[in-house]
Amino acid sequence: MSWQAIDRKTVADEDLGPGLSDAVSEKIRSFFSRYPTKRAVLLPALHVAQDAIGYVSLRAMREIADLLELPASAVMDVVSFYTHFWTQPRGRKTIVLCRSLTCELMGGKEVKEAIQQRLSIGEHETTPDGEWSFMTEECLGACEHAPCMLINEKLHKAVRVEDLDRILADPNNDKVDMARSDLFDAPKKNG
Amino acid sequence: MPYERVLMKNVGVSNSTSLDVYRAGGGYDGAAQALKATPQEIVELVKKANLRGRGGAGFPAGVKWGFLPPDREITYLCVNADESEPPTFCNRVLIENDPHMLLEGILIAGFATRTTIAYIYIRGEFVEQFHILQKAIDEAYAAGYFGKNILGTGYDLDCYIHRGAGAYVCGEETGLIESLEGKRGWPRIKPPFPAVEGAFHKPTVVNNVETLACLPHIMTRGLDWWLSVGVENSYGPKMYCISGPVNRPGCYEGPLGVTCRELIYGEDFGGGMRGGEKVKAILPGGLSMGALRGDVFPKNTGDVDPTQDVDELDCRLDFDDVRRYGLMGLGTAAAVVVPESADIRDVLVNVARFYALESCGQCTQCREGTSWMYKIAQRIQSGAGRILDLDLIEEVTHNMGMMPGLSICGLPDGAAWPLRMLVQKFRKEFEQRIAEQSPDATAQRARDVNPAVYELPLVEGRATSYGGGTFHVPQTR
Amino acid sequence: MPKIIIDGQEIECRPGIPVLQAALEAGMDIPHYCYHPGLSVVASCRLCLMEMKMPHPRTGEMDWAPKLFPACQTPAKDGLEVRFDSDAVRQNQRHVMEFYLLNHPLDCPVCDKAGECYLQDYSEQFGSASSRMIEDKQKNPKKDIGPRTLLYQDRCVLCTRCVRFVDEIAGTGELRVVNRGNLAEIDVFPGVPLDNELQGNVVDVCPVGALLSKDFLFKQRVWLLRSTKSVSPTDSRGQTIFIDHNEEGVHRIRPRYNEKVNEWWISDEARFGWKYIQRPDRLSTPCVRIENELRPERWEAIPDILRASFAEAAKGNDGAAVGVVLSPMMACEEAWLLTRFIRQLAPEATIALGYVPVVGEDRTFPKGFVIKAEKCPNRRGIETILEHAAGNTTDFAGFLARAIEGAFKAAYVVGGYPDEWVTDRRITDALAKTGFLVLQDLFPSALDGMAAVQMPAASWTEREGTFMNCDGLIQPFERALLPLEGLKPDGQFLFELAGYEGLYRAGRVREMMAGELPPFADVFTPMETPKHAH
Repeated sequence: MSWQAIDRKTVADEDLGPGLSDAVSEKIRSFFSRYPTKRAVLLPALHVAQDAIGYVSLRAMREIADLLELPASAVMDVVSFYTHFWTQPRGRKTIVLCRSLTCELMGGKEVKEAIQQRLSIGEHETTPDGEWSFMTEECLGACEHAPCMLINEKLHKAVRVEDLDRILADPNNDKVDMARSDLFDAPKKNG
Repeated sequence: MPYERVLMKNVGVSNSTSLDVYRAGGGYDGAAQALKATPQEIVELVKKANLRGRGGAGFPAGVKWGFLPPDREITYLCVNADESEPPTFCNRVLIENDPHMLLEGILIAGFATRTTIAYIYIRGEFVEQFHILQKAIDEAYAAGYFGKNILGTGYDLDCYIHRGAGAYVCGEETGLIESLEGKRGWPRIKPPFPAVEGAFHKPTVVNNVETLACLPHIMTRGLDWWLSVGVENSYGPKMYCISGPVNRPGCYEGPLGVTCRELIYGEDFGGGMRGGEKVKAILPGGLSMGALRGDVFPKNTGDVDPTQDVDELDCRLDFDDVRRYGLMGLGTAAAVVVPESADIRDVLVNVARFYALESCGQCTQCREGTSWMYKIAQRIQSGAGRILDLDLIEEVTHNMGMMPGLSICGLPDGAAWPLRMLVQKFRKEFEQRIAEQSPDATAQRARDVNPAVYELPLVEGRATSYGGGTFHVPQTR
Repeated sequence: MPKIIIDGQEIECRPGIPVLQAALEAGMDIPHYCYHPGLSVVASCRLCLMEMKMPHPRTGEMDWAPKLFPACQTPAKDGLEVRFDSDAVRQNQRHVMEFYLLNHPLDCPVCDKAGECYLQDYSEQFGSASSRMIEDKQKNPKKDIGPRTLLYQDRCVLCTRCVRFVDEIAGTGELRVVNRGNLAEIDVFPGVPLDNELQGNVVDVCPVGALLSKDFLFKQRVWLLRSTKSVSPTDSRGQTIFIDHNEEGVHRIRPRYNEKVNEWWISDEARFGWKYIQRPDRLSTPCVRIENELRPERWEAIPDILRASFAEAAKGNDGAAVGVVLSPMMACEEAWLLTRFIRQLAPEATIALGYVPVVGEDRTFPKGFVIKAEKCPNRRGIETILEHAAGNTTDFAGFLARAIEGAFKAAYVVGGYPDEWVTDRRITDALAKTGFLVLQDLFPSALDGMAAVQMPAASWTEREGTFMNCDGLIQPFERALLPLEGLKPDGQFLFELAGYEGLYRAGRVREMMAGELPPFADVFTPMETPKHAH
């Protein structure tokens, strides 16, 4: 109803989502030495938090705000500005498909329709089993291999509709070939 | 003409990302040379070389460095690896294959500008490239090229990677600085300029990846070699990107001044169109610079006249010739080719959508104008366009971003130029498509949105362009 | 004082201000949204763009640059020449107004801001008459962002004044911009609503009807309101305000610019703390105790009754047994008149400063706004009058100390506080020992049982006079409303009581006061804001 106002004054505790563990907070604090202000740690902190929880929950935003001595609204401001951060739970694997001009000229629309049909989800949605999420993004910077898409960290190049079944079924479709840096990774739980 | 690859010399070499391979090829010699000189000498050298920024604006790097206040204590160097302009990917190729060339360039630029900390702002989507680059930085630290007392000269430099998170506007100088500071990437008003008050209120220099990668070569091969490559006022090698349905899409190096025709058909570059199709349009400087007509139009036998429907592929890609054809500038020299089988309306929607979704939202014209253009383009694509819409796009893009100073950053200019040029240069195709629509499609669509609207008078008239001021303003039509 | 030329007219302006402010102060109507002299400059609305003369890059002579510059961002330097009266500038204004209205809902008939809305005003002057957009508009929701404020997001033009205000002036940073581009909205973090002591000002800075005060929502059309200049009595800082009212009463209170006190802002206390004047239990008839019951009496009879009783009480020791309590809610003129009345009859009477309500501590906000802990407007004014009054003067504690010993045969106690003030037993105990107690107050209180005469007081909106603020500034306030039915305002009553005839006018009384109290010869009137500034 357009005349009913959305209530921002209160939020239920269960809507805040999961928070950050102490190890994650420690990891965020380790960035302080790299920047002259605490506020500059915000983007790295959000990357770490998204890696830890899968998305950036409201509670995580509040905890990051406390760590960085910012108002919670400032964190929300930054999270909503960038497209990389999700504010709702997403699947284990996120497909990011490029929608820019080159990828569209080289068949990107057909790939998009095929993905959406195969997984039965739309943009920014997650499959019911929690495995896949899908979103499109502007130019991923791999135009010579158009159409291209990211599954989590791995960049898949020259994706054709006939390749999709193979790619989606491959259990290593999100593993990168090169040596990884864990700078923005959330600390893995031991054991 | 066998062109000797300089920037891309390690592309294709096995294990090219490792420090040993890089050093074996003469890597970090340029930095060693630079660190023996004084910062002022390096700045003068770069000024003499007229190294123009490869990020899109073409602003001379030496002049930018010269704006730094001489009595500063802290300087930040921000490396702009936020390559988001479609269809550019040359920075990615460089980082993936030769990260140490970039790091050496950072070291030289850092020394010349007396930088204390260098931040590499890499876009969030470049995850694999981040891993490669971070490993290279770790190797460089271990070998003593970053950190304290580099090569025993007493110069300290720290280099950190700052990951972005998906915003084109953060590729803009002040947008990048705001994003680095942990805020939303809204570009700042200038003055104060970043060289005086930039990141964290300290003097800051923002340089593109490719610009910095040129520095080791200026040092090792010398000024004379540099000035011999390229054309007047546009010296040095350039990485061209060609993508779309060409036989060999990819990143190729060449001197500045290669023509579009060479880029598409040359065997050193695109290798011709797939399936022998003709070219309808080429956007040679990335989306923001505008479009040129392809060889689907008759060959041009006279002077350059952007109002005539003739083949424009003879445009040379340097910083100056592109303007004669009506483009805003050279941009990133990354070309995407639109084949004759593509529907120009889809191209319009794609371009309009990019700017509508990437606009930051500060300035009124950009925020509202890009979104309006997107909605009009969508309506034309869905078969409910009017001839008036083409005039409307021309006029509104003119109001949005043709005159400098109308907005804080250059995004609305980048939005206005391609939309305006697509609608002007390919007008006949648009008119043809509109003629094929069902007769009252537009009125029906307008009624669906707002039943009262078709009773209001729709404003008629052709676009007008501003002719004020006494300087020469390039007219495109 | 730098001199700049705007549209061919030479203007002398204050140093250190942008060209836009200089033009506004010279009386020119330059459209602008995001610029506010009290907030940082963002130059994001692009409406104030102007042409400027710059040296030609080749010839070096000054000529009009083919580029537009934001007037809010360009400092006014001596010798600058600019113009707003040109085709390029006018076209830009028209185009930007068109862009603003693209996604704006046609809410004027239901929007509170109509009549003082700058979209309306600028569209009429600089914009187009019809829209060329036939697409679907961007629709945003309405948000309840705080206990006293609503945000109608679809009307918002993203000037970010509210964001900058809450960040810079209030210091709490609750409002932010979320999302980007055309989808950008203003929002708060869920669960952290807009709730600080200065939040009412966001409704004033908003140039359109996006941020609305719940208090004023749908209450009244602004063109049916009259504005009266006044001073807020809620704290001793003396924030200057406009009272917007009509025959129905007060509808809202807005800030009045004051370069020395509150600049462009007022606290929420001042903005919303006036409802007490509408309480149904306000006193409006003078009453005299006859046979242990307070009975209504005519106004004309009261002065004689009072004179007789006070003269009686003053017999013998020149009035040492007479006491007067001057409330710090009174205006300076009223206090002076009452003092004159008493001193005429009782030179040795004890004149005391009344109860001073203090709540908490002084709060200072970033950029210097102060909310004082002292919640009364005129303590310093009363103290100034007491200094010049010959004889015994004391503070409230001193008065109570003497009253409890039964020192007073007659006392005139003035209240006039918005809240219950007779909360301390010591007050009731002390005044119970007073012989003839005259009580002048707004509302019934615990002292009614011992009052011999109960006088109704008028609220500050129904009186005129001056308040002296905590720093010694004497600020006049004007009468906004007619007094309640049957009520004679304090000033008029005290004027007659002191023996004068005719109409009480605060200016007349100040002339009389100026002889013995020189500061009252001049009052402080703040600078007027430029006509077209907002």
